[in-house]
Order: sequence, then structure tokens, then C-alpha cells
Amino acid sequence: MIRFRTVSILATAAAVASMGPTAASAQDVLKIGFAGALTGYLAPYDQPTQQGLELAIDEINKAGGIDGKIKIELTTRDVRSETAQSAVVAQELVDMGINVMIAPCDVDPAVAVGQIAQAANIPTIAPCASTPTLPGIAGPFTFANYTADNLQGTVLADFALEQGYKNALILISRDTPYTEKLPLYFKQVFEAKGGQVPATLEFKMGQQDFSAEVTRIKELNPAPDVIMTAAYEPDFPAFIKQLRSSGINTPVLGSDGIDSPTTLALGEIAEGVVFTNAGFPSEGGPLAKFNAAFTAHFGEEPTSVYPATAYDVIKSIEAAVKATGGNLDGQALRDAIDNLENVPVATGTLTYKGRERVPLRVVALNRIVAGEKTHVADVTPKAADVPAP
Amino acid sequence: MAVSTYLAPDAAKSAGLLCAIVAVPALAIGIAFTGPLVTTTTNFLVMLTAVLALGMFSGNSGILSFGHCAFMALGAQISATLTISPALKKSAFPLLPEMILQSQFGLPAALLVTMLLVGVIAYVIGKVICRLEGSSASIATLGLLIIVESLIVAAQGYTRGNQAVYGVPKLTSLPVALVLALLAIVVARLFRDSRPGLLLRASRDNAPAAASIGIDVATQRLHAWVLSAMVAAMSGAMMAHFLTVFSPKQFYFDLTFAIIAMLVVGGMMSVSGAVLGALVVTLMVEVLRRLENGFALGPVSVPQIFGLTQIGLSVAILLTLYKRREGLLAFAELNPLKRAKPAPSDRMPERAPPARLEIADLRKAYGGVVAVDRVSFALRAGEILGLIGPNGSGKTTLLGCIAGTHTPNGGSVLLDGKPIEGQSPDRIARLGVGRTFQTVRLFANLTCLENVVAALTERHPHWSRQQLEAEAQRLLDELNIGDLWSQSAGTLAYGQQRRLEIARALAIDPKFMLLDEPAAGMNDAESEDLLQILGWLVDQRGLGLLIVDHDLKLIMRLCPRIIVLNKGQLIAEGSPTEIQGDASVQQAYLGRRHGVEQAPPQTITMRA
Repeated sequence: MIRFRTVSILATAAAVASMGPTAASAQDVLKIGFAGALTGYLAPYDQPTQQGLELAIDEINKAGGIDGKIKIELTTRDVRSETAQSAVVAQELVDMGINVMIAPCDVDPAVAVGQIAQAANIPTIAPCASTPTLPGIAGPFTFANYTADNLQGTVLADFALEQGYKNALILISRDTPYTEKLPLYFKQVFEAKGGQVPATLEFKMGQQDFSAEVTRIKELNPAPDVIMTAAYEPDFPAFIKQLRSSGINTPVLGSDGIDSPTTLALGEIAEGVVFTNAGFPSEGGPLAKFNAAFTAHFGEEPTSVYPATAYDVIKSIEAAVKATGGNLDGQALRDAIDNLENVPVATGTLTYKGRERVPLRVVALNRIVAGEKTHVADVTPKAADVPAP
Repeated sequence: MAVSTYLAPDAAKSAGLLCAIVAVPALAIGIAFTGPLVTTTTNFLVMLTAVLALGMFSGNSGILSFGHCAFMALGAQISATLTISPALKKSAFPLLPEMILQSQFGLPAALLVTMLLVGVIAYVIGKVICRLEGSSASIATLGLLIIVESLIVAAQGYTRGNQAVYGVPKLTSLPVALVLALLAIVVARLFRDSRPGLLLRASRDNAPAAASIGIDVATQRLHAWVLSAMVAAMSGAMMAHFLTVFSPKQFYFDLTFAIIAMLVVGGMMSVSGAVLGALVVTLMVEVLRRLENGFALGPVSVPQIFGLTQIGLSVAILLTLYKRREGLLAFAELNPLKRAKPAPSDRMPERAPPARLEIADLRKAYGGVVAVDRVSFALRAGEILGLIGPNGSGKTTLLGCIAGTHTPNGGSVLLDGKPIEGQSPDRIARLGVGRTFQTVRLFANLTCLENVVAALTERHPHWSRQQLEAEAQRLLDELNIGDLWSQSAGTLAYGQQRRLEIARALAIDPKFMLLDEPAAGMNDAESEDLLQILGWLVDQRGLGLLIVDHDLKLIMRLCPRIIVLNKGQLIAEGSPTEIQGDASVQQAYLGRRHGVEQAPPQTITMRA
């Protein structure tokens, strides 16, 4: 049956193609498949992603489609946060004849999805996986989108050096690539530019008790000028509470994992913490505009940055389709995405050209002041400074 | 032939049927379709293999393992290391020795090496885990899962640490997965009815009774543990070569629970249950997954609802636990044919050789409480000795000290002059001292025939299956329960259970038998019947019997010689008439009312 259906789709496609460009243009539809983890441990990332995709597609279609003619059709299927299921769903979406694939929010399922799409010459974009090695693993048709770990590490290192810090301590956990590699990227850039990272401390995620680490920090001679970590809930709050209550006032740098209401609710303890994320909604800026549009569409404010980064994915695809002049062929689309430069998106701008499919994009620096997130700067790091994944 | 001891012919047929149930649709899908359905089927076959592996240990031993995903993780890790191209290996696992970095294996060789390595690892771990009982064993397996995951993450350089292992060659196609899954079915099904499988299931149903017929429970568990770990490693490797990318967290709690859910729904105790569970859960997930995308029900159109799959699966598990706690198939196996009752052997039971069981100065104390106090007596083969005494006089403890379930604090138990006290119950059973229990302890989920075969196979390891079954049938016939051969022991009437327990105890060809209240709970007709059997045991088989009972009438009729225990001490010995006339016995039994003044001064309190 399925074979029969495939044949009939091919026949239809051939018939449509033979009608020539003018006849087809009115009918043109860009089919996007989202193999998303709408349930399971990735749901907190992929559900907001789904909202961002919907919003972007809705806006484009209301305006008549890409270039005013190509409408976008989104098909979402749940992969339940399982890698095996991701492979099954990806194959189903490919068989439905999608033009672009959007992958789940973690490396393993994203690679599984990317490889299957690649076999059918369909480009894949991973909206929120931040591991910069992902496109390299999955192959030449897979693109990252989110602020990669090495970008954040670079921006944080640059910021630390700018502040005059010479001697940094990093706190890592080998439990996830994010909590391990991001601080190591920081260290790489920091040391390359003349800083020193004499001490690396390790923690176990969920350990709660950081007294051993805090004691080590106290004993360090010379004392570090700055502490950098990619720890997040519940480890980051536990760590910083114990650090501050032992009287250590060394500045702390963090990454987008702590961009949550919990961190802001820490009050006095978190005062002065600087962290990176994908964007800050400055008044009149693109992210503020996006947030307003999101609130108008869904009746509630976005609770994370993932709707915005998902919106960015659709904007990249839109730009790529414009670049091909409406050619939806997989190879053409892939090449077009790979050559995108300074695409205006919800979180700033985005460049794929020359980036090995890991985009160079704006990284926002935020500082916590009196329980509020304040904007420090938007930084696009120099491509040459960003360490290889 | 040695092999026939291990392979049951019905099991082979049943395995064939199960293979057909899995293979026919899988092949049909493989031939007729391409795309997602093939992927789903392949994934099903990989999961099925994992479920079978878990069932092989947990189903047969009754100990739920949370640790099998650890073996899957090791399987995936090892097989990936062996098959990834040398170029990629150098960057992924820089710390590995040059020899491994340079080599690249094909699937069969990789699987073989993986399974052997994991088998060795499982053996070492199993040495510890298989000695634990029930929930402490389960908790230990949970610890195993966590430790192995942490080790794989920590061994970065040899592994990829917490990061995804990628570039694993895609070697698990549908035909490969099918062949391996069928192999797992055959191994699991044959193992269940093999000698070690039967002994393990016996110990699952009742560990003390298993020891009483000479089964070394820990060793039997270890066999199943190693075998199931090897199959689990195979399924882990299959999964790695199916997904081509995996990280340690893939083989953690989520997968553990997915596998356990399949096993629970189908029925943990049988191979058919494992197959059915994997099938039902997969089918249900596939149906729900399609409904999840929205559907029209007449005029009502239902929108896309994500999470329906999970909800449906959870409801299915709850319903199973609520309606059929043992799973859809419980203990049943699919058998293509109803088998015929085996013909009883015409083996003439040999009379037990002359032997002597001597108890000298035996003592057992619990802290300051002395339950058995320097008891000495002797029992010859061909003799019936009655042991009576009021409640709490230490009779059962004394029996336990002889059978090895209790370790005496002093004195000796001599079997033909050789000391046996303090040895494990299964060893004492193998030396020729059988027993029955105060409360019947049968292997409730095994058939009557299997109950006896389990005992025979310990005694006659070189007999063929046919010989074992014929002899078991003969024993059942002798105890007048031959027609019940195919019934589960748990379904028998009380009197029949007592007989089966005796048949099972006889199967190890004991020289002596310790019977703890054999007539307890029997009506008059049943105990009359029992008397006949016991008399026959002594006359025909020449066994020495030590019978403990409250039924004084029965003891007086049956036993030419009686010993009386009171407060741990032997207070009288003699013929029924002598015992009846003994003042101290009367006092012990009736003391509270009649002999308070004459009672000897009490120095210690007793507890049996």
C-alpha cells in the first residue's frame, strides 16, 4: 500500500512539474516536518519550539507565503524523546514528501533524524540542540541553529578578559556535554588570550552539597578573579548559595542554562551574576517585537527563549527559499542555507556562510541586578576566536 | 545422552511456534513494505530481544532486575568500539590501545566478542548479586545500572563519556534483527525447560524447598544471570547498530522501564508472555500514535493530542496489574500440542542401604534462649521414630538443625559416622536426608511432574529427560496422584499436596526422611491414607523416618519408638506404651493443670 502511495505521489509530482513554472507557482507549498519531542524529557524544549514554528509560519502564510507565493505547511509528529522513535518518525515525514526537516532538541535523536533526512537529500535544522559537534556528526545536510556552546564560551571569555580578570576557575560536570564542554571552551579562549585557568573543579549533577568545592575555592592561592560554570538548576542555585554564604564574593559567570525565573528568585545571592543567552528583549529590538507578537498570538508571554529560536529557524528557511528563487529541491535548499549571511531573526542576526553549519549569531550578555535581568551587551564573537568543536 | 537432559522436546516445539508468530509478520512486512514500518518492526525485534533477556533471568528466578540495561549499555559500547572505522575511532576513543584502534570487526565477530566479554563481567557481578534474596537483589541490580552508567561516563577517552557515540555502522537490518530475535526466543524457551531453568523456577517458587531437594539456588541463579546478560548485551549491540548513534543515557531508566513494562504486560514468568507483551505494547503504541495525530469519529473530529501514546501505555500497565497481576499469559507457555502423560518407569526402587543417623549432644541457642538442649538419639534406616512434645518444645528447631536450615551451636549430627552438622541444606539433602515442611512447601507454579523431575534431576544429572519424566511419573503413581501429573502443584487439594511433597522428597533417594507434622490439617480419611504411605515407605523402601506430629493417636499407632522433647530437652524415650505411662511426659503435656507441684525447678525459658 505504501509503495502504491509513493508511486502515486511521484506521479502527481511529475504531473505538477510538467505543467511548468507558471502553473505550479500558485500551488507551491513548502512542506516542513517537525520530528519533535512533545512528550518525555525533551518536551520542555520542544513544546515551546513548536509554538515558535507555528507563529512564524502563521505570519508568513498570512502575508501570502514566502515571496508572496509559497505557503508553508507544517507537520509535527511526536518522537517521545526516544532516539529509535525519532528515526521512525523521521522516515514517516520523509515519506510524506517534506522539503525541510526540523529535529528534536538533543544530540542523539537529532543525529538519527538528520541522517535519515540526508539519505533523502532533505536538509535538517536542529532548533535548540547547542552541541556544536552535532552537524559534523549527522552529516552535510544537518544544520545547528541555537547559540552553540563554543559561542557562549567565547563571549564569556572575552567578557571576563575585558573586566580585567586574569585568573579563572571553572566548575564542570561530566554528566552532560553541556556542563562539561562549555566551560572548557571558555577555558580554551581565555587561555589563548592570555588568561589563566589553574583550577578546574568537578561536580556531580544533583549533588546538592557543594561544601567540598567551596572549601577548595577558599583554599586556592592565588584566589580566582572569576568563577565560570555551565551548571544550572538545581546545581547552580545550590552552589551559589553555599559559595556566597561562606563569604566568597568572587564574580560568577554562567550560561543560558540559568536563564530562568529560579535564578532571578535567588535575590541578593545572585546579584551581579553575568550570563549569556540567545538574546535580550531590548526595547524596540527584534526580540521584544517577537515577544509582543507571541503574546498577541498565544495570549501569554513566552516563558523561555525557545519559541524565539524556533522562529529563527523558519526565518532561515524563508531566506534560503528566497535565495533559491523558489526552488525547493533538497540540494539547492541545503546549499542556500549554507550560504546565508546576516539573516535578520527574532534574536538578532544569523550567519551560516563559512561556519560549517553551526551559525554565528548574536550572544546576549545579561547581568542580574536586584532580581531583574538587565542587558549588558549583544556580542557577535569574531569567527576566528571561536574554538573548533 | 547428556544433551537430552538439557533440552525438552515440547520446549522446542513451543519455541518453533513462538518463532513463527514473530517471523511470519516480520518477514511479510520486510518483503511488502519499505520505510517507517520496517524501521518500527526492526525496533520491535531489538526490544523483543531485550525483553527476552530480562525475562530469562527475572522470569525464571522471580527477582526483578533493573540492571539489564547496564549489560545493554556495555554491549552497545563494546560492539561499537569493535566496529567503528579506525579513522573515526582514533578521534572518538583516543586512549584505547593501538591494537584495538587499528582493528575493525564485522557484526558476527563483534557480537561474539561482546557477548563473551559481557558474560565474564556478568559472572563476576553475579557471584555477589545471586546470593541476595528478593528485593535486596533487585535493589542491587539498580545499583549496578547506576554504577555502570557512571563508569562509562567517567571512562572518557576509552568511551565518549557523556557524549554521543556516532558513526556506528548500521548493521542491524530487519533480517539481521529477525535472526537474532529468533535466536533469543529459542535460547530463552529452551532454557526455561532445561535442567538449570527448571531448577531455577523451582527455587523461584520456594527457595527453602528447593534447598531441601539439593538445589544450590545461588548457582542456578548465576547460570541464568550470565546467559541473560549475554543476550541483553546482544540486544544492546543490536540497538547501537540500529540507531548508529547512542549515548550512555540511552541505556538508563527510561529504557529499563520500557522493557519492564513490556514484560509486565505480557507476563514475566513465561517466554510466550515476553513475546506477547512486546507485541501488544508495540501494536498499541503504533495504533495510539496514529490516533494521536487526530482522527474523525463520525461527525466528531478529534484534534491532534500529543501524549496519548504515553497515557494509553500507562493505562494498559495499570489495567494489567489490576486485572491480571501476573501479566496476560502469567505462567502459561504456548504449546502446540497437548502432551500425553508419560509412561511410568518400571524401575524397582532400591531399598535404602543400612544407614544410621546419630544425633549427639545437639544444642541450639538464640541468644540466651536455649531451644535445643544437648539432645542425643539415633535413628536406623528402616525405623520409624516419633518425636513429640508440647508447643514450643523445640521440635522444629531440632529438625532444622539436622536438615541444615539451622546451624547448631554445639554437638554433632553423624550420618553413618560422618559429621554433617552445619552444612548447607542442599548438601545435606544430597547426602541422603530428605524432609517435608510443617506448612506444605511445593513449587506451586510447576506441574506435579515438574516438581518431582526437579528433585530427580539433582539426584541423577546424567539421566535423559525421558528417563526423568518416567521415573517422576512412577513416583506420582506410587503416591496415588499419578493422574494429576500435568496440574500445577498450587491447585491441588491439601492431602494431595502432602503426597506430592513426599513424592518429591523421595525423588532424591534419601536414606532418611524428616517429616514435620505430615498429618497437620488432614481429615481422618486423609491421615489414615497417609499412615499407609508412611508404613509403605519403611517396609518397601527401608527408609528411616523421623516424624514430628501433634496427633498423638497417629504417632502412637505408627511409631514403635518415640522420643519426647520438652523445653529443648529430651525427657523420655521408649515404646508408645512406655511413653503413655511416663510421668514426666504427662507432666510436660498436662503439667499446667495436674503437675504444678511436682514440676522440676525451671532454670531457663524455652522457645521453639
